[in-house]
Amino acid sequence: MAQIQPRQNLLGARGWFYGGKYQLERYLYILHRISGLAILLFILFHFTLTTVFRIQGEGVWESTMSIMHNPWFKFGEYLLVVAFIYHALNGLRLILQELGFTLGKPTPPIYPYKDSIRKKRPITIVFIVIIFILAVITFYDFIAGGW
Amino acid sequence: MRNTYLQFIQLITGILIAVLLGIHMVNMHLDAILGFFGVETFFGVNIAADPTIFSLMKARSQQVVFAGIYIALLIFALYHAFNGLRNIVLELTKSARAERAVTAVIIVVGVIFLAIGVYAPLALLS
Repeated sequence: MAQIQPRQNLLGARGWFYGGKYQLERYLYILHRISGLAILLFILFHFTLTTVFRIQGEGVWESTMSIMHNPWFKFGEYLLVVAFIYHALNGLRLILQELGFTLGKPTPPIYPYKDSIRKKRPITIVFIVIIFILAVITFYDFIAGGW
Repeated sequence: MRNTYLQFIQLITGILIAVLLGIHMVNMHLDAILGFFGVETFFGVNIAADPTIFSLMKARSQQVVFAGIYIALLIFALYHAFNGLRNIVLELTKSARAERAVTAVIIVVGVIFLAIGVYAPLALLS
């Protein structure tokens, strides 16, 4: 009996940036990875500050924090908060879908077909709107708190 | 089967991080919004002022609640981040040998970060 071979990943890393027929959800997935890697880089930076620098006393801490008060760092912090909001809420959407909560009941495949991606798209749009609202609220906090 | 368990832990740690990091971010950064709702302290520590002031950082470090949040967050974040990174890297190769090598490097680096990260809050507790 013929064995079904797994499909080769012909595009390699380039395939990560090609949404194809999956459209919106696929691009959200790519952004999920980019935001995840950005957060990982920040974690390593933040980890160094809050362990190695923190235990060395007041002088080292104050001089390190004075660098962090640079407006460009503040802007970077805001981008990071947005990356966290995006990664957390998109991750929640993925968890809900992976566990089958937001996929709806199966329907017979009668033309015009309504696949699972189109069924769950309104939920995806709701999540995008919530992410946008939270990004605006945190932007207010960063402005009100001063750069 | 092992990857299914690893992925399931990825989901669980993701939810736990969202909760703990949410608390951490609100404490550290959203002071203007907290002030709007009249919240100025968290477990007796002033969170309305600049969190980078040394005395406030020290006051937070001496609270078991804060140290507990930091250590729990560190454990969940290290797992979630390094397992996510492993998933991305392993998409580029099918070699079992490369998979073992990547897994070993990630475990070693993760354990080093965990040891340093747990030491610092414990040392600052007293």
